[in-house]
Amino acid sequence: MKRDPFILVIVAVVVAALLVFGIKMARRRASQPVASTATGQLAPNFTLKSLDGKTVKLSDYRGKAVLVNFWATWCEPCNVEMPWLVDLHKKYASQGFEILGVAMDDIGEKGIAKFAQEKHVDYPILIGDDPVGDAYGGIPFLPGNFYIDRSGKIVDKAFGLKGKAEMEQDIQKIIASGAGAQSVAAAGGQ
Amino acid sequence: MTTSSKGLDGGIFGLRSSVVWVLAFLLCGLASPGAAFAQGSFAPKVPSVSVSVTPLTTITRGTAGKVELQFRVGAGLHINSNTPSADYLIPTTLKLDAPTDIVVGRVTYPEGRMVSFPFSGNDRLSVYSGIFQLSVTIRPLSQVLPGKYAFHGRLHYQACDNARCYPPKDVPVSFLVKVVRGVTQHRRNPAQSPHIHG
Repeated sequence: MKRDPFILVIVAVVVAALLVFGIKMARRRASQPVASTATGQLAPNFTLKSLDGKTVKLSDYRGKAVLVNFWATWCEPCNVEMPWLVDLHKKYASQGFEILGVAMDDIGEKGIAKFAQEKHVDYPILIGDDPVGDAYGGIPFLPGNFYIDRSGKIVDKAFGLKGKAEMEQDIQKIIASGAGAQSVAAAGGQ
Repeated sequence: MTTSSKGLDGGIFGLRSSVVWVLAFLLCGLASPGAAFAQGSFAPKVPSVSVSVTPLTTITRGTAGKVELQFRVGAGLHINSNTPSADYLIPTTLKLDAPTDIVVGRVTYPEGRMVSFPFSGNDRLSVYSGIFQLSVTIRPLSQVLPGKYAFHGRLHYQACDNARCYPPKDVPVSFLVKVVRGVTQHRRNPAQSPHIHG
């Protein structure tokens, strides 16, 4: 059977295009940090500035149960969550529980600080940025909550507003689990 | 079995044509995942607000006319109105660039619907959902040449559903305005009547 050279050329071009495309995609994937926020994985570390000017690293909180709360001033469900977080922080702080509120806002530190003050937030508020958002899966919507146990592993994550009781259950889980876990029952958790 | 050369040519030509179409389709397919990847695999897939095609509006130069723009908010979503219920919420705003010698005047926003959401408790928020319409006042100056003029701008909004909020976004807005001459009024010198000067 005689082969048509036109078709052979076209096939060769397509194969070459597929190869180039494949190599480019593989390089892109390789150059991007592996940002796994799957449960059971170590939470991606970050270094961010807090509203009081301190540099805060997530890794500094190893040994504590941490809720990383991505929020913004324009996010009404985040606004609803804040008083709950303040309450839960007060309730469980003595058991080694900490909240890091990461503000994904572009209104500037003053606006964020004013908002947090109005909401009586007593846990650290950090100024978020895109790399941290990307490391946590891009944060396509808010609020975004990552529950991290004492060993730095993600135990659960939730996007969107959940009930306060549901949040509390997750907080109890991270307090109870991980390295150096303390008994939630012993600590009360009432 | 014999095949006429005409039939064979036609067959090969048909095959070539099919191969080209299949390849074009494949290459388009290759381009789209690339674009999607570049945007990030976590980016929301569905746009929250879309612009309906705006019919051509005709405005007489030297006078003001209104252009009605229609937007559709995606199902299950809402965006803040132009006058949201709280100062920390992001208002929906339209920004337009005007061609030279055409003045973009006031943008009239509809009143938001006051709605309470599962997350807002007893508080009601002023929002747009479904279809909403804005009107823009356009005034071509009297020296503008008649013709069609393109306007480009962006609608800035921030969308939420019942439990979560999406980052603020811009949707591009474009429309055409046809500027026409007004009815020509022939200015004639009034007849010089001796009575007028009386």
